Amino acid sequence: MITTDRKSSRSAYRNLWKWAVIAPPLLFFALVAGTAMGETSIPMDVVLKVLANKIFGAAYPVDRIDAGIIWSYRLARAVVAACCGAGLALSGVVLQALLRNSLADPYLLGISAGASTGAVAVAIIGLGGGLISMSAGAFVGALLAFAFVAMLASLAGGGTGLRAAGVIVLAGIAGSQLFNALTAFLIAKSANAEQARGIMFWLMGNLSGVRWADTITVVPAALFGLLVCIFNIRALDAFTFGSDSAASLGIAVKRVQFGLIAVAALMTAAMVSITGSIGFVGLVIPHAMRLVVGTRHRALLPASALAGAIFLIMADIIARIVIPGQVLPIGVVTALVGAPVFALILIGRRAAV
Amino acid sequence: MILRCENLGWRVRRKEIVSNASLTLNEGEMLGLIGPNGSGKSTLLRMLAGVRYPSTGRVYLGGTPMPELRQREIAQTLALVEQHADTEERITVREAVELGRTPFLSVLQPWSQDDEAIVVDAIAAVDLHGFENRNWHTLSGGERQRVQIARALAQQPQVLLLDEPTNHLDIKHQLAILQLVKELPITKVVALHDLNQAMICDRICVMHAGRIEALGVPAEILTETRLMNTFGVCGHFMTDPFDGSPVIRFHRAHRMD
Ligand SMILES: Nc1ncnc2c1ncn2[C@@H]1O[C@H](COP(=O)(O)OP(=O)(O)OP(=O)(O)O)[C@@H](O)[C@H]1O
Ligand SMILES: [Mg+2]
Repeated sequence: MITTDRKSSRSAYRNLWKWAVIAPPLLFFALVAGTAMGETSIPMDVVLKVLANKIFGAAYPVDRIDAGIIWSYRLARAVVAACCGAGLALSGVVLQALLRNSLADPYLLGISAGASTGAVAVAIIGLGGGLISMSAGAFVGALLAFAFVAMLASLAGGGTGLRAAGVIVLAGIAGSQLFNALTAFLIAKSANAEQARGIMFWLMGNLSGVRWADTITVVPAALFGLLVCIFNIRALDAFTFGSDSAASLGIAVKRVQFGLIAVAALMTAAMVSITGSIGFVGLVIPHAMRLVVGTRHRALLPASALAGAIFLIMADIIARIVIPGQVLPIGVVTALVGAPVFALILIGRRAAV
Repeated sequence: MILRCENLGWRVRRKEIVSNASLTLNEGEMLGLIGPNGSGKSTLLRMLAGVRYPSTGRVYLGGTPMPELRQREIAQTLALVEQHADTEERITVREAVELGRTPFLSVLQPWSQDDEAIVVDAIAAVDLHGFENRNWHTLSGGERQRVQIARALAQQPQVLLLDEPTNHLDIKHQLAILQLVKELPITKVVALHDLNQAMICDRICVMHAGRIEALGVPAEILTETRLMNTFGVCGHFMTDPFDGSPVIRFHRAHRMD
């Protein structure tokens, strides 16, 4: 980054609209790939024909079973994966900027665990008597978990720097464990064996069984999150030197922190209520994108959203084809990629200090 | 722009860190804020800057009580250079200075030629030309400090608050930065430890144990008794043979018991 020619890095940083040109074709290509690849791969041209039939009302002759798989099953799944990836990556960017901690991530901070607990509480024991949805339950759980972790971290000595980064990760572990235990307790108490098995599988992060109906939750959540983040690009940048510095740059610190953390929790909750908790996306993607586009949010936010979407579509493809005849939970794939990256970040931080 | 505070106080856990501080800054003056470590200089500056909410009393910016102003409006007229500002992010000098334009840019407003010119000037003013694309974490302590000052200058403030702006700088840059600050046609408050440097201020405010102990022109404020009573050092005044200005020569500190 240091050696990048000044002009090119300038225009790359400045022009938000550029992303409106870059993102759609890449996203489209990823979606088509996610739809074509799988246990039985379907040729690209068939995929494109089915899409043309469905979207533009074209009348290409296609196999009805292929059409069914492509449209109802794989495309819906790829769209949900894309939204989850974008949402989780954005949550990671927001949390890292506001907490000034490169290890902040909805999964590591226990927000995903809290969301799972909330979703399970609604789904199994029927909290709210059917009046609240799983997503709403997940949102409340996510906020409770974040409040718990934030309180624990501040009691243990907040601030910034290496020690504080360690403290918040430890607090996150405590929070994750607590909420995972609560979830396990709820399942053991109220679910039968069959339900329990299904829920455990779902909790590991899973896209099986995702249908078009699920896009009603995740698409608006991702778009809303992206919009709110874009409206706060300068505010996020202003936190670079801490919250006092942000305040002296005219940012209403409390309001921005509260609002954006709520939005990050909302996105995480929406995603978790559909797919279970998929780990490490919010950690890996923003870090990778910082290396590519720098740390300024006008580039980092759109790049992370796009890369997160593509990453999760790819992870889902891998989950479906890596073991023939069996579908791996997608959370396993992201963890296999994410855990080593997490380790690299830890080592890199030591070297940088 | 006039900055004023009345009976300003700040306490944590019932401990008074700053109490009963009242100050009125004259337009265009440079006020030196001096006092021993822990006397409350940084705390007072943060409250004056509107980034810390006082427990008692009020700050008035241009006659309006600060709580009635939006944070953004404050930042458009007032800038603060913190004592210790640091980041882990890989940010370049230019990007750090560009932050100074934050209060003037609305959400999707593009970067303008004016903003660019202001940033370039601010970088030049602190003698960091050629450092634009250097990463923050590769800079020396003094270079970082100058970046922070440039960021504040990029806000084009009418009131500038600086918390020990020279504490990491080499002697040349100390003098240059103080001269630069002195010549800015705006109201300035500078927390300083070097009492000889404080003499270039128009007025000096002495803090001791959270209270404003004295306020006035340097010649009246800095006396041998004050050096002894407030700072616990023995010093006396001499005259610079070149320009006739007073110089403090310190002898020895009392034992730190
Ligand atoms: N958040 C806090 N909690 C407890 N004590 C605090 C807090 N902030 C400041 N203090 C205490 O208040 C006193 C004044 O601090 P301040 O930073 O204002 O001093 P200062 O005059 O700027 O000192 P220095 O010359 O060392 O910069 C110190 O004794 C400090 O320990
Ligand atoms: Mg201080």
